Amino acid sequence: MTTHEHAHHGYRQYFLTWMWLLLMTVTALVIGYFHFLPEGVKAALLVGITLAKIFLIGSIFMHLKTERVNLVMLTFSPLLLSIVLYFFTYGETLKNDTHHIDNVSPTFVMPTGEIKEH
Amino acid sequence: MESTSLAEQQRVLASDWGGGKSPFGTSWSKFMMWIFIISDALTFAGFLIAYGFMRRVAPAWPVQMEVFSPLLITFMTFVLISSSAVMAMAVSAARAGDAKAATRFLGLTIFGGAIFLGCQAYEWYHFISEGATLTHNPWGVPQFAASFFVITGFHGFHVFSGLTILAIVALRAAMGKYSGEGVENAGLYWHFVDVVWVFVFAFYYLL
Repeated sequence: MTTHEHAHHGYRQYFLTWMWLLLMTVTALVIGYFHFLPEGVKAALLVGITLAKIFLIGSIFMHLKTERVNLVMLTFSPLLLSIVLYFFTYGETLKNDTHHIDNVSPTFVMPTGEIKEH
Repeated sequence: MESTSLAEQQRVLASDWGGGKSPFGTSWSKFMMWIFIISDALTFAGFLIAYGFMRRVAPAWPVQMEVFSPLLITFMTFVLISSSAVMAMAVSAARAGDAKAATRFLGLTIFGGAIFLGCQAYEWYHFISEGATLTHNPWGVPQFAASFFVITGFHGFHVFSGLTILAIVALRAAMGKYSGEGVENAGLYWHFVDVVWVFVFAFYYLL
């Protein structure tokens, strides 16, 4: 294969990845915008789609697919750390009421002037 | 692309760490870019964790898609993902030694990034003119606008610096003074900016 053919092979793969990313974006948008799913399912699906997109961008666009395992492990460490950190604070907020932010009432005025209550 | 078995990967891993001189198998410049991206990812992880914490302790949270325009957000996401795909093609072209194609793809990437930044400026202008500041906003919890400004502001600044880097790389490519690796390193940074937006899009706007 010449380098030019190589580049063209790459374009096709990038184009397909692009299509997949757009498809996943639209799916995430539909799930997020129309409230037809229970909150837990919606959150799980959005996290799943986000991770799938990150995986695609990382492996294809950022060439992690062809890099050594060492580099791949290094790049995913911040993500693992964030998940650990998030679940530290998550557990605490569920148990402890003293951290609540109480300086506002749970109503908002929409730009249309409509008042919403939660 | 070749796929290696787990046993083979373990063998490579063992040999890399068992006295190998280049455990990551990259050039110094690409490795430096990765180290930068990882530290930057930790910064954004900190922001998003803080935001998640604030969401959990807030008594309520506005419906984001009623405050921001879903159409604008979708368009911005589309533009940034597309520019990332075009950037990947620019790297391919640069590696194949096709300076003309590389310059053209880099130009398209910059065009996409500039449109994204313009949309973000419009969104900020609109949000601020509706009365949002770092400490107040008309929709209730102050943390709503505060996290918006900090997260999208920091991301927007990354887009801006990415555009600066890409402009330099594109100019050099147009003059023929470029290397495949230089373009690839700039590309890694640009894809990272896209990765951060994917998180912001899902967690700030949709969740």
